Amino acid sequence: MGSMVWLGFAILALVLWGITGVTQKLSTNRISSERSFLWFCWAMVALSAAALLVARPHWGIGPTVLVCSVAGGALNGLGAWTSFRALESGGKASIVISLISLFPLLTVVLAVGLLHERLTWMQGAGAVVAITAAILLSLEPGPGKAEA
Amino acid sequence: MKEQAHARRLPAWLFWSLVTIVMWGTWGLVSKIASDGVDAYTNQLLFTVGIVPLMVFVAWRVSRAGNRRDSSEKPEQRGRGVFWAFLTGILGGVGNMAYFQAMVKGGQASVVTPVTALFPMVTVLLAMVFLKERLGRVQWIGLGLAFVAIYLLNA
Repeated sequence: MGSMVWLGFAILALVLWGITGVTQKLSTNRISSERSFLWFCWAMVALSAAALLVARPHWGIGPTVLVCSVAGGALNGLGAWTSFRALESGGKASIVISLISLFPLLTVVLAVGLLHERLTWMQGAGAVVAITAAILLSLEPGPGKAEA
Repeated sequence: MKEQAHARRLPAWLFWSLVTIVMWGTWGLVSKIASDGVDAYTNQLLFTVGIVPLMVFVAWRVSRAGNRRDSSEKPEQRGRGVFWAFLTGILGGVGNMAYFQAMVKGGQASVVTPVTALFPMVTVLLAMVFLKERLGRVQWIGLGLAFVAIYLLNA
């Protein structure tokens, strides 16, 4: 049952991030990717302000956690920016996005190597299948698609 | 000199793609370390603190581009573009909190990250319904594999 709780939140994240794939496209069809990113960040600031008011953040945290948490935002934001740079540098979208979809592989390697997480054979196979699925889903479907 | 020769061999798009993998791949690791010591709301708050320097840099670039008149933007469409970008940020931020909460609730980084990385399955389904995009055969296979992956990762 405990495992189902984390899976529920993981699927919620998957659904919300999946919706952003569409809303981001609707945005960048109309404004530049950089202006879109800027307003994306303003929304993050607004959401964090709301969290500050509603959820009473927990401040008694150690330096490692603090650094990792702040670094998380920096890494995520820089990753978004470098992915735009990859696309703007002449990389084909189907290749760049498929290649970038390999990032969970690095997380798996780091988590197993540094955090000593253990995967069952089924979970290891699941990680490989998930990364393969993400790559296939990211491939351009070819001609015949319609714009919004 | 050696570095220059190496840089010449590595295309810019490949370099930036590899940097992206390192950034996002490491994000999964640091998120798990952070989630072991802080709740999802505070994590999102500190995440936003981390993104602010980049936000300032991008704001500077946007204001510079504004002075040069960005021809790719249509002024009459700007309001709608900003709305969708803002909504993307809200949904992305709530998604982040769910991701952090999955780790707070005991999910391993090595399992939670591959599950959440399947988010393109939702994007392609929504794009098919709302943007009238067609799925290729490869994407259908990807969609099927995504469900298999979720089953295996929860085993």
